[in-house]
Amino acid sequence: MFAGAFLTGAADRLLPPSVPYRFFVTALVLHAVAWGLLLVGADEVVGFQGGLGMVLAALHLVTLGVLAMTAIGAAFQLLPVATGRQLGPLWACRLTWWLLATGTAVLAYGMATATTAALHGGATLVVAGLMVALVLLAGTLAGVKTLPGVVRHAWVALGALVLLATLGLLLAVDFSTGWLPDHQAAAIAHAVLGGYGFMGNLALGFSYVLVPMFVLGGAVPDAVGKRTAALAALALVVGVVAILEGAGPVVALAGLVGLVAVAEHLRALAASIRSRMKKRLETFFRLLIPAWAVLPASLLAGIALALGAPSERLAPLWGLLLVFGWLLTFVTGILQRIMPFLASMHSGITGGKPALLSKLAAGWPLALHAALHGLALLALAVGILTDTVWPVRIGAACGLAGALALIAFAVELARRYRAHRQANPPL
Amino acid sequence: MDEGDKAAGPPAWLAAALEIEPFDVRPILADGEDPFSRLMDKVADIGDGGALVVDAPFNPTPLRRTLAKQGFSSYGRKLAAAHWRIYFHQDGGADWEQGAEVTVGLEGAASWREEDGLHIDVRKLAPPGPMVAILRLIEGLNPAETVVVHHERMPQFLIPELAERGWRIDRVVEEFANVQLWLEHG
Repeated sequence: MFAGAFLTGAADRLLPPSVPYRFFVTALVLHAVAWGLLLVGADEVVGFQGGLGMVLAALHLVTLGVLAMTAIGAAFQLLPVATGRQLGPLWACRLTWWLLATGTAVLAYGMATATTAALHGGATLVVAGLMVALVLLAGTLAGVKTLPGVVRHAWVALGALVLLATLGLLLAVDFSTGWLPDHQAAAIAHAVLGGYGFMGNLALGFSYVLVPMFVLGGAVPDAVGKRTAALAALALVVGVVAILEGAGPVVALAGLVGLVAVAEHLRALAASIRSRMKKRLETFFRLLIPAWAVLPASLLAGIALALGAPSERLAPLWGLLLVFGWLLTFVTGILQRIMPFLASMHSGITGGKPALLSKLAAGWPLALHAALHGLALLALAVGILTDTVWPVRIGAACGLAGALALIAFAVELARRYRAHRQANPPL
Repeated sequence: MDEGDKAAGPPAWLAAALEIEPFDVRPILADGEDPFSRLMDKVADIGDGGALVVDAPFNPTPLRRTLAKQGFSSYGRKLAAAHWRIYFHQDGGADWEQGAEVTVGLEGAASWREEDGLHIDVRKLAPPGPMVAILRLIEGLNPAETVVVHHERMPQFLIPELAERGWRIDRVVEEFANVQLWLEHG
């Protein structure tokens, strides 16, 4: 080593395991609670067009409690490692979790029981948590010159988060004041900003790093990432403005732009997967591949709604496709891959013998979860399309059982990790 | 004894380049700065047939790759520990590192052999290029080999994949823009 050389502080960029895992464990628990609420409120699912109740509470437990919770926990850990930049103080990461976890629980209670104080208090806590996360992530992204596709999608996601949180607060207050000129249009814009804007862009951006890395495939060209981020941003801005203005054909046009971005994104990932070193795709792809198929389907359903298709069945179906079919399927797929991956990474960084990924991950809970999750989606779709409650109940019960299987996977992972650490203590 | 690209012998254009005063980037790196923009300023002044000589603490493969795209052939010599001298010649860049000990893999990573093992330079590759290049290299190796990786940062994502293949990071030396990792099997 030459004189004057300095450490790059790379070890510092790996957070203590307790930080990302508190987000992941919370996501797994709220995942089960969400399906449980949907089971209790199954008769509200058919023909759901919005409004307070069990369905709205379950929906927010999924979007905030599972999707945002997982995305933020993963982003806190993966973004600094991938970009080589520090994240920010650990207390701010922990504060994000406290605000988001508490706020989501209080907000869901307020939505389920129509309690105004809980609705307002929960929304405020959630928005505060999301804003702390936004400051941390924006601080990491600022000045990053590598990974332009990932970084641009992340910026679009953070921009959407600001609008999404603002609209969310306004909607929460509007339930008791009724001062918004068009509550439903604001709710749809809020859903689009959350599903396609914040979570969608994080999913697209992170996929450019995670998917090639997990399959050991070719890198996605920077130009593709830049293009899909630009198209996604354009679709989002035009779509949200048109929704608020009630311009259906323009919303449909924005949906088409979104479809082009998705097609480009999927084509690039397919090329990377085809060039992979690993001969067999890992088991989490049995969730990722259906999720990728549902993403354009959700956009097509949204375009049909924007062009005036009857909303009684199509609106809840669009919500099912967007939140449960695309995002929840994708995020639980990624979650079951990154939990053992991070555990293995942490076990190796402290000097001890790294735990093997293949030894940490139990197969049967994941197979069970994938089967039950698929059944849940099918049953819910049948219930919505036939205006029948009993398939919804079966679907929610399958979803709940699948969520419990995922918890069993996490418990077994923790047990195996502890056993490895006892057998191979850090140096 | 000189090391480096000795196997192929020096190229014909080297004689003219030997007269040029080297631009030593080692003090710049030691101060924690990236010398890339200053190097590019010098490169901008070089016309056809011109040459540039750079002293660096390691074989600057990403720079050689970058300048090859701008028409520079290069020839490297290891003069001492942490002291490489690289000669660049503006001639179209057709023979950069050709015929030398350096092999360029599918992902664009350069690998070469030194006394302490098989070196691979994965800096400036887009993710997951570094990981794929390293794993591709070790999968074809005798387990008794030591692999020395030159990376821009500590590749934490690599640790689980190495473990799956029975390899581990034996030690790490972190310098500015050059994190070196010694990988061993077992």
